[in-house]
Amino acid sequence: MSGKSAAKSIHFAADLPQLQNLIKRDPISYKDEFLKQWQYFHNLMQTFQLQPSKYNERLDEMISFLAQVGHCYKDEVVDMPGQLCDILKNHSTVLDRTMRMTLVKALIMLRNKELISATQVLQLFFKLLRCEDKLLRKTIYQYVVADIKNINSKHKNAKLNSALQTYMFSMLQENNAVTVKTALDIMVELYKRNIWNDAKTVNVITTACFSKITKVMVAAMKFFLGKDELEEKDDSDSDDDGPKKSVKELTLGHRVGKKTKKRKKKLDRALLAINKHKKKKTAPEAFNFSALHLIFDPQDFSEKLFRQLEKTTERFEVKLLMIDLISRLIGIHKLILLNFYPFMKRFLQPHQREVTHLLLYLAQGSHEVVPPDAMDEVLMTIANNFIAERNSSEVMAVGLNAVREICSRCPLAMSEDLLRDLVQYKLHRDKAVMMAARSLVQLFRKTNPDLLHRKDRGRPTEARQELKILKYGELDAKTHVPGAEVIPEKEDKQKEASEAQEEWESCSDEDDSDGEWVDVHHSSDEEIAETEKKETPAETEEKLKLAEEISATRIMTDDDFKIINAKQISKDIKSASAARARKRKFQESSLAENNSELPRLGDIEMVHKKKAHDKESRLATVVAGREGREKFAHGPQKMNPFASTTNKEKNKKKAFTMVKHKIRRRKVKRSFKEKQVSLRNSLLKRSRNARK
Amino acid sequence: MSKINRDSLRESIDNVLKYSNETKKRKFTESIELQIALKNYDPQKDKRFAGTIKLRNIPKPKMKVCVLGDQVHCDQAKANDLPHMDIEALKKLNKDKKLVKKLAKKYDAFLASESLIRQIPRVLGPGLNKAGKFPAPITHNDSLNAKVEETKATIKFQMKKVVLCLAVCVGHVNMNSEELYQNITLAINFLVSLLKKNWQNVRALYIKSTMGPSEKIY
Repeated sequence: MSGKSAAKSIHFAADLPQLQNLIKRDPISYKDEFLKQWQYFHNLMQTFQLQPSKYNERLDEMISFLAQVGHCYKDEVVDMPGQLCDILKNHSTVLDRTMRMTLVKALIMLRNKELISATQVLQLFFKLLRCEDKLLRKTIYQYVVADIKNINSKHKNAKLNSALQTYMFSMLQENNAVTVKTALDIMVELYKRNIWNDAKTVNVITTACFSKITKVMVAAMKFFLGKDELEEKDDSDSDDDGPKKSVKELTLGHRVGKKTKKRKKKLDRALLAINKHKKKKTAPEAFNFSALHLIFDPQDFSEKLFRQLEKTTERFEVKLLMIDLISRLIGIHKLILLNFYPFMKRFLQPHQREVTHLLLYLAQGSHEVVPPDAMDEVLMTIANNFIAERNSSEVMAVGLNAVREICSRCPLAMSEDLLRDLVQYKLHRDKAVMMAARSLVQLFRKTNPDLLHRKDRGRPTEARQELKILKYGELDAKTHVPGAEVIPEKEDKQKEASEAQEEWESCSDEDDSDGEWVDVHHSSDEEIAETEKKETPAETEEKLKLAEEISATRIMTDDDFKIINAKQISKDIKSASAARARKRKFQESSLAENNSELPRLGDIEMVHKKKAHDKESRLATVVAGREGREKFAHGPQKMNPFASTTNKEKNKKKAFTMVKHKIRRRKVKRSFKEKQVSLRNSLLKRSRNARK
Repeated sequence: MSKINRDSLRESIDNVLKYSNETKKRKFTESIELQIALKNYDPQKDKRFAGTIKLRNIPKPKMKVCVLGDQVHCDQAKANDLPHMDIEALKKLNKDKKLVKKLAKKYDAFLASESLIRQIPRVLGPGLNKAGKFPAPITHNDSLNAKVEETKATIKFQMKKVVLCLAVCVGHVNMNSEELYQNITLAINFLVSLLKKNWQNVRALYIKSTMGPSEKIY
């Protein structure tokens, strides 16, 4: 019996994977074999300690084996993780590359089996980042992200998280560039995956914005600007386009053809994949709040960044990033950073690199709390440097667009004289300039028409009458829901009666666009008759009172809001003095409503000339003309489609090589008449050319 | 088809009042706030909404308003017994962050004369703005008291941080139920009008007094 087992163990010594398999199936009965290997491992370790830089194949195999089966004999291998850690700690840079990777992988495996604590492994791995080994660094990065994700997959372990976070944050203060960068990358990745999406992480990343290591600083700033996020999104979109066939196609494909088990399995698998994909798509989108909102003290942060920006000697691209971040902070948090504007003034030259971006940042950094005199100077600079006849039309248009973007966020900055000067470009010969100037007029018609010339103000609309121009620092506190006066004051009883009907209405198509509502208002004659009498101030006041009354006494429904919205839109169009009310189509402003918090570059760079009849509309007319007409073909068509073809036609359809010789012969064997004609033609041609 | 029944709203208002006036009366005037939870709202894509509305009845009568005024306004404030400061006093703060912070903490709101307000960011630095208490302008024409009352009655809707919810103070427990009803309806109406899809963006509405339990109204 004993001889047999001895033979077995010798056999296993040569074949560790087999033993590993057996142990995993039945750990108790193979304990003896394991202990023998364990002893052997210790011997190997001792020899290894003498010469740590040498690669030892036996040890390499043994370590992987022990890591694989360690969880079966937890009591026996208690000290193994410690041992492995010690080797890595003491000989981190000396170790052989392969050996080191094996050790790291073994530790990862032990960690996954909970034989070693997370913090211990993390600390060791961050030390290992000093080794110049790209593969190792990558492995460590991936492992750390995956491990923290796994820890938090079921529920967030707050205690462990905070311990790991504090360690990670201390890593950011290290001197070693690679360590800092990896720590930052890990945190950014975890934030993006919504694992560490708390304010603490974000605020630590803010400290990385002041790192002396450019790479780290840039990465941190890009994180706040959300730059690489977009790039990655595009990548992932192209990666998984999802299953190519739909469920219907698959089942149809299965219905025809032989019904074998294999085909059935294939179908099931494909259907499963589709379902999975569907689930992925319908899963609620990760709630990823912009990190900029989570910063604790944006004012301080922006001031520090600005100080850094003033002193920095980094490349222009890095400076741009800094300016972008500062301006976003100012715009989003409505900060006051007065030095920023004079600083930006020096960049405002038409020949400046990336000037459109700089103008965009300036627009980002403007909001209504900025003192108008600070903004005023900037506007004057733009006007002087960009909007002058000596510049090209593109430059002028960009300047005007930038002025518009700034004024839309900070309308008080504009002075009457400057605006009246700028508006004069609305008759400029270049279309881009003209459009930009007109959009400026449009903007001020809505915000502050008093600054415009009388003739530029346009027809006074109802909305204009209600417009209140805000002074600096003033808040527009309303006492009612704007437009509430249009809601009919219904009695409760009536309401109940009409409730059923209303329900029907709300069931009907939800997408009854607002535009339709407006049209109805206008085309109906009674509407015009109603507004025919001029509104007196008393009436306006009455309206206001009614609106107040309604908005304080009844709770509005979605239907009410629909009516209000329609009314508010129609107010923009409807002229106030109704006597001259004309039917006028609602002109949609060329600028799409900007929904996000930040201005878009496209709005400033909008200098392209849009042709009145551009390619799309031309194509549309072509397609419309084709409708209901026969297909074109050259030459007269055959009267009878079944008639036979001529030899000439047949020759045309033949391959060229088949008829080549015939063509050549025809040239040689011309008749006298043919020669005569061709000679005449050539002479005529020559004389014509000579005369020229 | 109203989303909130008038009667049930009145009932929950009464419940709140009953709890804090009878069941468990506290030693201070509890305020009543409206809590709103949103849905279908992506704070990254959709514009952050912010709005101010003047309620009919003053929700926080104890609010302290400071007048940063020129000579005329300071005299008026003195006559009306309101706290006030002139530009010299502000300059004395010397942009000291701590002093400005202290000033901002001391009062709930500020009013500033029109001639002064433009200088305030330069004189005081960003401190007031940081505290969210940037002054509102007053002119010589409007009466100071009315303006102060208006400031007290004004509430701000603002989404602050990560969570999809917000709360505003709409009254206090010494108001009668009719006044509360008006304030709450106005606040709800205004808030819902701010949202892009109106009621479809609202997950839940609660009212609650400072120490009392919350009452779900939607």
